[in-house]
Amino acid sequence: MSIPLAGMSLAELAAYVSDHLAKQGIDVVLSGGGCVSVYSDNRYQSNDLDFIERYREDRKKLAAALDMIGFKPKKRYFVHPATPFFLEFPTGPLSVGSEPVREIAELNFRTGTLRLLTPADCIKDRLSHYFHWGDKQGLEQALIVAETFPVDVDELARWSQQEAMQDKFDSVRDRFLNTPSNNNANILAE
Amino acid sequence: MLEALIGSTTCEKVLIYLTARSEGYLREISDFFGIAPAPLLRQMEKLENGGILYSKSVGRTRVFGFNPRYPFLNELRALLTKVLAFYPDDIRERLKDNRRRPRRKGKPL
Repeated sequence: MSIPLAGMSLAELAAYVSDHLAKQGIDVVLSGGGCVSVYSDNRYQSNDLDFIERYREDRKKLAAALDMIGFKPKKRYFVHPATPFFLEFPTGPLSVGSEPVREIAELNFRTGTLRLLTPADCIKDRLSHYFHWGDKQGLEQALIVAETFPVDVDELARWSQQEAMQDKFDSVRDRFLNTPSNNNANILAE
Repeated sequence: MLEALIGSTTCEKVLIYLTARSEGYLREISDFFGIAPAPLLRQMEKLENGGILYSKSVGRTRVFGFNPRYPFLNELRALLTKVLAFYPDDIRERLKDNRRRPRRKGKPL
């Protein structure tokens, strides 16, 4: 059943699409800047919802499933007249840098259940943009998420080393250590 | 050499070229292998859409290279490096002979 999309927030729409596709047998996970929007309560705004298919499906099957809820293909995106948000399905696999994603987060909204990267993987995903493309916005997005969700800095360091980006991580490590969420976590631990 | 695996000799040539030279643009790869630009571009765009290559604009030229965020990049490079070792000597030498340092405009050879 199709429900009105107008007025849905990015997270509500993402949950609606993710839920609908799951019912059609298409398993997708929200990645990219959309996760930052969800985890930052829209302090970072994105109109682009990047879904990664866990097991690559036929594009025709995907298009047919999205057509059922009114999304039409436009170049490599899917758009809907009632919402400014657009959908993209980049080629997988679901990964953060060269490592596969093992854990998927689930958030419930009135429109459905959203499956997305965990905050920790979202931070790595954004950091990989900063590491490989020098994209400073990627770093800022990672920090926005880290402000709300305590981050395991040692794990970030391990992953950065795996990505051959230890020096780059060392240059920003203190910014992750000094986020309010990490300071609060340290106070609670003491 | 990888045709059975990747389904296209043109695709293999793009990958081998970029393995040897890190970056390349349509015209130079087309000239190097003597392949028409259109099928070559199709393969390059297919590889870009698949997340294996990136492209960036340098002036009016679209330069392609391996996407550093591709999760299987190290393994792919290792395979392609081995494949390159099986290429004929003359092609490997020509691929290595890659003048990229600056040349002043109008400088005599």
